[in-house]
This record gives sequence, C-alpha cells and structure tokens, in this order.
Amino acid sequence: MGQIWKMMKTWQKVLAGFLIYVAVLMIMFLIFGSDGRNDEFAPQNEFLLDPWVPISIGGIDFSINKAVFYLALTSVLTIGAMVYIANRMQREPNRVQMAVELSYDLVRDNITRGNLQDQKLATRWFPFLATLFFFIWFSNMLGYVPLPTNTEHTVDIFGIAVPTFAIYATTANIAIPLVLALAVTVIYHTEGIRAKGFFPYFKSWLPGGLEDMNPIAKGGIFMIEAISHLVRPISLSVRLFANILAGHLLILFMGGGLAVILGLALLGTATFPAALIFFLFEIGLVATLQAFIFATLTAIYIGGATAESH
Amino acid sequence: MDFLIPLAEVTDDGLKSIALGVGAGLGSIGAGIGVGSIFAAEIESVARQPEMKDELQSIRWLGFALTEAVAFYTFIFGLIAFFL
Repeated sequence: MGQIWKMMKTWQKVLAGFLIYVAVLMIMFLIFGSDGRNDEFAPQNEFLLDPWVPISIGGIDFSINKAVFYLALTSVLTIGAMVYIANRMQREPNRVQMAVELSYDLVRDNITRGNLQDQKLATRWFPFLATLFFFIWFSNMLGYVPLPTNTEHTVDIFGIAVPTFAIYATTANIAIPLVLALAVTVIYHTEGIRAKGFFPYFKSWLPGGLEDMNPIAKGGIFMIEAISHLVRPISLSVRLFANILAGHLLILFMGGGLAVILGLALLGTATFPAALIFFLFEIGLVATLQAFIFATLTAIYIGGATAESH
Repeated sequence: MDFLIPLAEVTDDGLKSIALGVGAGLGSIGAGIGVGSIFAAEIESVARQPEMKDELQSIRWLGFALTEAVAFYTFIFGLIAFFL
C-alpha cells in the first residue's frame, strides 16, 4: 500500500482521496439511509440557557444556568492557574511555565508597552490588560472543551442521570463581551479626563491642524468623532461575541447539526471533515487572536485618550 | 428522492434562509478581499525589509482580526434578521 502511494502523482493522490471520500459517503448512506427529520433532538439548543437553579429577584431573572456555571469556572481557572504557576516558578522552567512566561511577555511588551508610551500609565494598566487577555483566552478555550453540561439529554450511569457532554462558551453570549467592553469604555474616558481635564479631553477628540476652521465645521467633525467613540463599545463587544458564536455555530452545523435539522443523514457525513477543520482553526488561531485583539484595542483606546496629540 | 422534499418547500423561513445566505455571503466577499490584501501587503513589506518581520507580525494579526470581524458582523446581523 505504501509503495503504491509513493508511486502515485499528486493529482492521482488528490483524485484517490476524493474517491475515498465519496465512497465513504455512499457506504454510510447505504448502511444508515435517511430516517427523515428528528424532531426530538434540537442541536441548536446549545445556545439555550435552561435555568438550573431558578432565582428571580424583583421580576428579573437571576437563575443559575450554563452561562453562569461557565463564567464561574472560567474565573476560577484563570485565577487558579495563574496563581499556581506564579507560586511554583523555577529557575529551569518546564513547558507550561515557558508558555505562561511567553504570553506574559506578549501582554507586557507587545500589548501594554507597545501602545501606552507613558511608563507610569503602562505600569498602572498592565494588570487590567493582562487580566482581560487571560480571562478571554481561558473563556474561549474552555468553550472547546466538552463538559457534561447538557441537562436536556441525560445518560443513566448506576441510576444517576448524568448530563451528556456539550460545548458552550461564555463569550458566545453577548452579555459577557458587552460588560467587558462597557468597562473598557468607562475606563478609557475616565483615564483621558484624568490625564487632561474634563473640557480639554473632549477638545482633544478633534484632530490636529483644524485651528483655522470655522466653528460649525469643527462641530461637525466633533460629531463624527463622538459617533466613533459611541460605536467603540459596540464594535469591541460584537467582534468578540460574533467570532466565537460563529465558530461555535460552524462547528455545530458542520458536525451534524445540519443533518439533524434537515433530516439528511448523508449531509452529516459529508460535512464532518469541515467541522474538524473549523475546530482546529478556532483552537489554533481564533481563540487566542480574539483575546489578543480585545486587549490590544483596550490598550490603544487608553493610549489614544491620554496621548498629547490626537 | 423523498428526502429532498423538505428542501423544496417555499416558505417564509426558506426565503429568510436565502436572504441570510446571500447577505452573509456578500459580506464575506469584502472581508475576504480585505484579509487577502493585508497578507499581501505584509508579504511585500517583509520581502523589502526582512528585519521588520517581528514588528509587522502583531500589526498583521491586528489587521487580520479587525477585517475578519466584518464578515462576522454581516453573519450575526443576518442571524438577528433571521430569528426576529
């Protein structure tokens, strides 16, 4: 088999791979056929938040559900992992310590010092930026680890109903990115006002070189700048939320969700390789990149609000 | 070909699905061109000044993520329109 594989040309290998793929599709279809729609199992319920412990205060829903569980788990993991590694620092680092030191360097040199020129400011905001980075990173990565959280479907193990495995990410829920983005907005406005004073800060929104302009046009440009500042929390939160949600949706639909919803068993086999590819892409690039982007943009906003010239 | 029947019904949901597909697809064209041009520019600048590679790396990922997000904006707003 190996010798035949070596003798084949590239186009023959590609063709053989494609033929094997089609053959597997056909065999799976012949064996399992298509039973039509399955209305009992709704894969899109990954994003449904069932209240586990119903709590209602003043008509507002404070129930403990999957998202709350994941949020608590992420916080515990972030704090626990970082404190644990910081406490057992060694002169000859092992792999985990190496990775943490590398990411620490990335946050300190690249994200914080690269965007905050003032040394005092960088020292002040480095803990916040590092926390943002690691919290979002842990939250994203935890979203790709299957955990027994699917209470809708349970498996009986020795008489106990154990929830089946499911994936879910807190950042795929608009609430968490939105809170983070609003906190960032408040922080960078406050920092700008503290550095320059109330009115000079808003005056500094105007770009330089407009001294000769008449006040009405200046007002127009100020309005444009104000809108861009208003849009910042929206774009910051939606970027993170949409990236993670889209990743989870793609994995869900490609990994069999489409087959269940449409009732086409053949489609499930056909799209499964795509699910694996998206899964690796999300773990390898998107999860880290979105944490990096969020922290970098926060640093850029704080740096822009405190910089002398616009 | 019984299993194709659910695909052939013309319903409001079906039309919404087409709208979502067309909208998200058109949105990803722009993002695709943008991401491509970012990497093209990065390759070009590294080819001219290889010593700038490390500095360009973080800028590249920043530009990549900012542009890529546009595709997801269209996708998410399409989904919002689909479910509302």
